[in-house]
Amino acid sequence: MGGFIKTILILSGISCFYFFTQPAVAKSQVLTDVKVIHASTGTRYVDQGLKGIISELESVFKYTSYRLLKDQKLNLNFNQKGRVNLPGKRALVVIPTDMKGKRIRYQINIQKNNHSIFQTRVLLKNNSSITIGGPQFKDGVLLLNISGSVQ
Amino acid sequence: MKKPCDKYIAEDISRFIDNELPRDQYHAVAQHLIHCPVCSRLVERYRSISSVINDHADQAVLRIDPVKLKQKIVQQNSKETFSRNIFRFFTKNIYLKLASIAAIVIFSLLPFQGALFGPTGPSAIVKYVDTDFASVMIIETQKEQHTIIWFSET
Repeated sequence: MGGFIKTILILSGISCFYFFTQPAVAKSQVLTDVKVIHASTGTRYVDQGLKGIISELESVFKYTSYRLLKDQKLNLNFNQKGRVNLPGKRALVVIPTDMKGKRIRYQINIQKNNHSIFQTRVLLKNNSSITIGGPQFKDGVLLLNISGSVQ
Repeated sequence: MKKPCDKYIAEDISRFIDNELPRDQYHAVAQHLIHCPVCSRLVERYRSISSVINDHADQAVLRIDPVKLKQKIVQQNSKETFSRNIFRFFTKNIYLKLASIAAIVIFSLLPFQGALFGPTGPSAIVKYVDTDFASVMIIETQKEQHTIIWFSET
Protein backbone atom coordinates (compact mmCIF):
# COMPACT_ATOMS: atom_id res chain seq x y z
CA MET A 1 0.00 0.00 0.00
CA GLY A 2 2.78 2.38 0.98
CA GLY A 3 4.66 1.64 -2.23
CA PHE A 4 1.58 2.32 -4.31
CA ILE A 5 0.96 5.70 -2.66
CA LYS A 6 4.65 6.55 -3.10
CA THR A 7 4.42 5.74 -6.82
CA ILE A 8 1.31 7.88 -7.20
CA LEU A 9 2.95 10.77 -5.35
CA ILE A 10 6.13 10.53 -7.43
CA LEU A 11 4.16 10.49 -10.70
CA SER A 12 2.02 13.41 -9.55
CA GLY A 13 5.16 15.33 -8.61
CA ILE A 14 6.78 14.69 -11.99
CA SER A 15 3.57 15.76 -13.76
CA CYS A 16 3.35 18.98 -11.75
CA PHE A 17 7.02 19.69 -12.43
CA TYR A 18 6.57 19.33 -16.17
CA PHE A 19 3.31 21.26 -16.13
CA PHE A 20 4.63 24.24 -14.23
CA THR A 21 8.04 24.36 -15.85
CA GLN A 22 6.73 24.10 -19.41
CA PRO A 23 8.27 27.07 -21.19
CA ALA A 24 5.94 29.55 -22.75
CA VAL A 25 5.88 29.36 -26.51
CA ALA A 26 8.01 32.25 -27.60
CA LYS A 27 9.10 31.01 -30.96
CA SER A 28 9.14 33.65 -33.63
CA GLN A 29 10.31 31.97 -36.85
CA VAL A 30 7.56 30.56 -39.04
CA LEU A 31 8.66 28.43 -41.96
CA THR A 32 6.02 28.91 -44.62
CA ASP A 33 6.04 26.75 -47.71
CA VAL A 34 3.93 27.83 -50.67
CA LYS A 35 3.31 25.32 -53.45
CA VAL A 36 1.73 26.74 -56.58
CA ILE A 37 -0.04 23.96 -58.46
CA HIS A 38 -1.65 24.04 -61.84
CA ALA A 39 -4.58 21.65 -61.88
CA SER A 40 -6.24 20.78 -65.16
CA THR A 41 -8.15 18.05 -66.93
CA GLY A 42 -5.41 17.19 -69.42
CA THR A 43 -3.29 14.07 -69.64
CA ARG A 44 -3.01 12.38 -66.29
CA TYR A 45 0.02 13.68 -64.45
CA VAL A 46 0.98 14.14 -60.81
CA ASP A 47 4.14 15.97 -59.89
CA GLN A 48 6.51 14.09 -57.59
CA GLY A 49 6.61 17.06 -55.23
CA LEU A 50 2.90 16.70 -54.53
CA LYS A 51 2.98 13.20 -53.06
CA GLY A 52 2.05 14.43 -49.60
CA ILE A 53 -1.16 16.16 -50.56
CA ILE A 54 -2.26 14.65 -53.86
CA SER A 55 -4.61 12.10 -52.28
CA GLU A 56 -6.40 14.90 -50.43
CA LEU A 57 -6.70 17.01 -53.59
CA GLU A 58 -7.91 14.07 -55.67
CA SER A 59 -10.54 13.27 -53.06
CA VAL A 60 -12.15 16.65 -53.76
CA PHE A 61 -11.26 17.77 -57.29
CA LYS A 62 -11.86 16.00 -60.60
CA TYR A 63 -8.69 17.31 -62.24
CA THR A 64 -6.39 14.74 -63.78
CA SER A 65 -3.21 16.76 -64.04
CA TYR A 66 -1.44 18.40 -61.11
CA ARG A 67 1.75 20.26 -62.01
CA LEU A 68 3.92 21.98 -59.45
CA LEU A 69 4.73 25.38 -60.90
CA LYS A 70 6.54 26.80 -57.91
CA ASP A 71 7.63 25.69 -54.46
CA GLN A 72 8.74 28.68 -52.43
CA LYS A 73 9.90 28.49 -48.84
CA LEU A 74 9.64 31.61 -46.72
CA ASN A 75 11.22 31.92 -43.31
CA LEU A 76 9.11 34.62 -41.75
CA ASN A 77 8.94 36.35 -38.41
CA PHE A 78 5.55 37.04 -36.95
CA ASN A 79 3.87 39.95 -38.72
CA GLN A 80 6.44 39.76 -41.50
CA LYS A 81 5.00 39.81 -44.98
CA GLY A 82 5.92 37.03 -47.41
CA ARG A 83 5.20 37.49 -51.08
CA VAL A 84 5.01 34.84 -53.80
CA ASN A 85 4.46 35.86 -57.39
CA LEU A 86 1.82 33.83 -59.18
CA PRO A 87 1.10 33.35 -62.86
CA GLY A 88 -1.33 35.79 -64.49
CA LYS A 89 -0.04 38.96 -62.83
CA ARG A 90 -1.13 37.63 -59.48
CA ALA A 91 0.64 37.52 -56.13
CA LEU A 92 0.11 35.73 -52.87
CA VAL A 93 0.88 37.60 -49.66
CA VAL A 94 1.09 35.60 -46.44
CA ILE A 95 1.61 37.06 -42.98
CA PRO A 96 1.89 34.84 -39.91
CA THR A 97 0.54 37.13 -37.24
CA ASP A 98 0.66 35.11 -34.04
CA MET A 99 0.03 31.77 -32.43
CA LYS A 100 -3.26 30.66 -30.94
CA GLY A 101 -2.59 27.55 -28.93
CA LYS A 102 -0.84 25.14 -31.28
CA ARG A 103 -2.07 26.89 -34.39
CA ILE A 104 -0.49 29.65 -36.44
CA ARG A 105 -2.72 32.56 -37.31
CA TYR A 106 -2.16 33.54 -40.93
CA GLN A 107 -3.43 36.45 -42.92
CA ILE A 108 -3.51 35.45 -46.59
CA ASN A 109 -4.11 37.77 -49.48
CA ILE A 110 -4.32 37.06 -53.23
CA GLN A 111 -3.77 40.04 -55.48
CA LYS A 112 -4.29 40.52 -59.18
CA ASN A 113 -2.83 43.56 -60.88
CA ASN A 114 -1.95 44.87 -57.40
CA HIS A 115 -5.59 44.70 -56.40
CA SER A 116 -6.74 42.39 -53.63
CA ILE A 117 -9.18 39.86 -54.98
CA PHE A 118 -9.27 37.46 -52.07
CA GLN A 119 -8.27 37.64 -48.44
CA THR A 120 -8.69 35.31 -45.54
CA ARG A 121 -7.56 34.75 -41.96
CA VAL A 122 -6.98 31.18 -40.85
CA LEU A 123 -5.68 29.30 -37.87
CA LEU A 124 -3.35 26.74 -39.40
CA LYS A 125 -2.35 23.68 -37.48
CA ASN A 126 1.40 23.67 -36.89
CA ASN A 127 3.15 21.47 -39.48
CA SER A 128 0.00 21.29 -41.54
CA SER A 129 -1.33 22.98 -44.66
CA ILE A 130 -4.29 24.64 -46.29
CA THR A 131 -5.10 24.75 -49.99
CA ILE A 132 -6.68 27.76 -51.65
CA GLY A 133 -7.98 27.24 -55.14
CA GLY A 134 -9.86 29.09 -57.77
CA PRO A 135 -7.72 31.49 -59.81
CA GLN A 136 -8.11 30.58 -63.49
CA PHE A 137 -4.91 29.75 -65.35
CA LYS A 138 -4.58 28.37 -68.86
CA ASP A 139 -7.05 25.46 -69.17
CA GLY A 140 -7.27 24.88 -65.46
CA VAL A 141 -6.96 26.53 -62.11
CA LEU A 142 -4.27 27.44 -59.64
CA LEU A 143 -4.16 25.65 -56.32
CA LEU A 144 -2.07 27.30 -53.62
CA ASN A 145 -0.96 24.91 -50.93
CA ILE A 146 0.34 26.85 -47.92
CA SER A 147 1.97 24.99 -45.08
CA GLY A 148 3.28 26.50 -41.88
CA SER A 149 5.70 25.30 -39.27
CA VAL A 150 6.88 27.10 -36.18
CA GLN A 151 10.59 26.52 -35.67
CA MET B 1 -14.84 -6.02 56.19
CA LYS B 2 -17.20 -6.11 59.16
CA LYS B 3 -18.14 -9.61 60.26
CA PRO B 4 -21.92 -10.21 60.42
CA CYS B 5 -21.44 -13.24 62.55
CA ASP B 6 -18.63 -15.47 63.73
CA LYS B 7 -19.10 -18.02 60.94
CA TYR B 8 -19.36 -15.94 57.71
CA ILE B 9 -18.03 -12.63 56.60
CA ALA B 10 -20.00 -10.10 54.50
CA GLU B 11 -18.16 -11.14 51.35
CA ASP B 12 -19.40 -14.70 51.78
CA ILE B 13 -22.96 -13.38 52.05
CA SER B 14 -22.49 -11.21 48.99
CA ARG B 15 -21.15 -14.13 46.99
CA PHE B 16 -24.08 -16.23 48.24
CA ILE B 17 -26.54 -13.67 46.84
CA ASP B 18 -24.67 -13.52 43.56
CA ASN B 19 -24.63 -17.36 43.32
CA GLU B 20 -20.89 -17.33 43.20
CA LEU B 21 -20.30 -19.89 45.96
CA PRO B 22 -19.56 -23.55 45.30
CA ARG B 23 -22.64 -25.70 45.69
CA ASP B 24 -21.66 -27.20 49.13
CA GLN B 25 -20.81 -23.78 50.56
CA TYR B 26 -24.01 -22.33 49.12
CA HIS B 27 -26.10 -24.96 50.92
CA ALA B 28 -24.12 -24.45 54.12
CA VAL B 29 -24.78 -20.69 54.03
CA ALA B 30 -28.44 -21.31 53.22
CA GLN B 31 -28.70 -23.59 56.29
CA HIS B 32 -26.86 -21.03 58.40
CA LEU B 33 -29.27 -18.25 57.38
CA ILE B 34 -32.18 -20.16 58.92
CA HIS B 35 -30.61 -19.82 62.35
CA CYS B 36 -28.59 -16.57 62.04
CA PRO B 37 -30.72 -13.38 62.13
CA VAL B 38 -27.65 -11.17 61.59
CA CYS B 39 -26.72 -12.84 58.33
CA SER B 40 -30.37 -13.00 57.28
CA ARG B 41 -30.70 -9.24 57.69
CA LEU B 42 -27.54 -8.74 55.72
CA VAL B 43 -28.91 -10.97 52.97
CA GLU B 44 -32.12 -8.94 52.84
CA ARG B 45 -30.19 -5.72 52.73
CA TYR B 46 -27.97 -6.91 49.92
CA ARG B 47 -30.96 -8.25 48.02
CA SER B 48 -32.83 -4.96 48.32
CA ILE B 49 -29.77 -3.06 47.09
CA SER B 50 -29.34 -5.56 44.30
CA SER B 51 -33.00 -5.28 43.27
CA VAL B 52 -32.78 -1.47 43.23
CA ILE B 53 -29.73 -1.63 41.01
CA ASN B 54 -31.34 -4.23 38.75
CA ASP B 55 -34.56 -2.21 38.46
CA HIS B 56 -32.58 0.88 37.51
CA ALA B 57 -30.56 -1.06 35.00
CA ASP B 58 -33.73 -2.59 33.54
CA GLN B 59 -35.30 0.85 33.18
CA ALA B 60 -32.19 2.12 31.43
CA VAL B 61 -32.24 -0.88 29.12
CA LEU B 62 -35.96 -0.43 28.46
CA ARG B 63 -35.31 3.09 27.23
CA ILE B 64 -33.20 1.64 24.40
CA ASP B 65 -35.24 0.70 21.37
CA PRO B 66 -33.94 -2.76 20.47
CA VAL B 67 -35.10 -2.43 16.86
CA LYS B 68 -33.27 0.85 16.41
CA LEU B 69 -30.23 -0.51 18.18
CA LYS B 70 -30.19 -3.51 15.86
CA GLN B 71 -30.57 -1.28 12.82
CA LYS B 72 -27.74 0.93 14.05
CA ILE B 73 -25.47 -2.07 14.55
CA VAL B 74 -26.34 -3.44 11.12
CA GLN B 75 -25.70 -0.02 9.53
CA GLN B 76 -22.40 0.34 11.34
CA ASN B 77 -21.37 -3.14 10.25
CA SER B 78 -22.36 -2.53 6.64
CA LYS B 79 -20.49 0.80 6.60
CA GLU B 80 -17.40 -0.82 7.98
CA THR B 81 -17.69 -3.72 5.56
CA PHE B 82 -18.19 -1.35 2.61
CA SER B 83 -15.22 0.84 3.50
CA ARG B 84 -13.12 -2.25 4.17
CA ASN B 85 -14.10 -3.72 0.79
CA ILE B 86 -13.35 -0.42 -0.99
CA PHE B 87 -10.01 -0.20 0.75
CA ARG B 88 -9.22 -3.80 -0.18
CA PHE B 89 -10.39 -3.19 -3.75
CA PHE B 90 -8.09 -0.20 -4.14
CA THR B 91 -5.11 -1.73 -2.41
CA LYS B 92 -5.18 -5.34 -3.61
CA ASN B 93 -6.37 -4.95 -7.20
CA ILE B 94 -3.25 -4.68 -9.37
CA TYR B 95 -5.30 -3.66 -12.42
CA LEU B 96 -6.80 -0.78 -10.51
CA LYS B 97 -3.32 0.33 -9.46
CA LEU B 98 -2.18 0.24 -13.06
CA ALA B 99 -5.32 2.06 -14.17
CA SER B 100 -4.73 4.76 -11.54
CA ILE B 101 -1.15 5.23 -12.73
CA ALA B 102 -2.30 5.32 -16.36
CA ALA B 103 -4.97 7.91 -15.49
CA ILE B 104 -2.41 10.12 -13.77
CA VAL B 105 -0.02 9.83 -16.71
CA ILE B 106 -2.81 10.66 -19.18
CA PHE B 107 -4.01 13.64 -17.15
CA SER B 108 -0.48 14.92 -16.78
CA LEU B 109 0.10 14.60 -20.52
CA LEU B 110 -3.03 16.57 -21.38
CA PRO B 111 -1.22 19.93 -21.33
CA PHE B 112 1.23 18.52 -23.86
CA GLN B 113 -1.49 17.05 -26.01
CA GLY B 114 -0.84 19.54 -28.79
CA ALA B 115 2.91 19.02 -28.74
CA LEU B 116 2.64 15.24 -28.70
CA PHE B 117 -0.30 14.55 -30.92
CA GLY B 118 -1.02 17.92 -32.49
CA PRO B 119 -4.33 19.73 -32.20
CA THR B 120 -7.33 17.84 -33.36
CA GLY B 121 -9.76 19.08 -35.99
CA PRO B 122 -9.25 20.48 -39.46
CA SER B 123 -5.82 21.46 -40.74
CA ALA B 124 -6.95 25.07 -40.77
CA ILE B 125 -9.79 26.92 -39.14
CA VAL B 126 -11.06 29.65 -41.43
CA LYS B 127 -11.86 32.74 -39.37
CA TYR B 128 -12.59 35.23 -42.10
CA VAL B 129 -12.96 35.39 -45.89
CA ASP B 130 -13.41 38.43 -48.11
CA THR B 131 -13.44 38.30 -51.88
CA ASP B 132 -14.70 40.16 -54.89
CA PHE B 133 -16.28 36.93 -56.09
CA ALA B 134 -19.63 35.65 -54.98
CA SER B 135 -18.88 31.95 -54.75
CA VAL B 136 -16.65 30.69 -51.94
CA MET B 137 -16.57 27.15 -50.59
CA ILE B 138 -14.73 25.82 -47.57
CA ILE B 139 -14.09 22.10 -47.79
CA GLU B 140 -12.57 19.68 -45.32
CA THR B 141 -11.33 16.37 -46.70
CA GLN B 142 -12.50 13.23 -44.97
CA LYS B 143 -9.19 11.43 -44.67
CA GLU B 144 -6.73 14.00 -43.36
CA GLN B 145 -9.18 16.80 -42.53
CA HIS B 146 -7.26 18.98 -44.97
CA THR B 147 -8.89 22.39 -45.35
CA ILE B 148 -9.51 23.73 -48.83
CA ILE B 149 -10.91 27.16 -49.66
CA TRP B 150 -12.30 27.40 -53.13
CA PHE B 151 -13.39 30.61 -54.79
CA SER B 152 -14.73 30.79 -58.30
CA GLU B 153 -12.85 33.45 -60.22
CA THR B 154 -15.44 34.18 -62.89
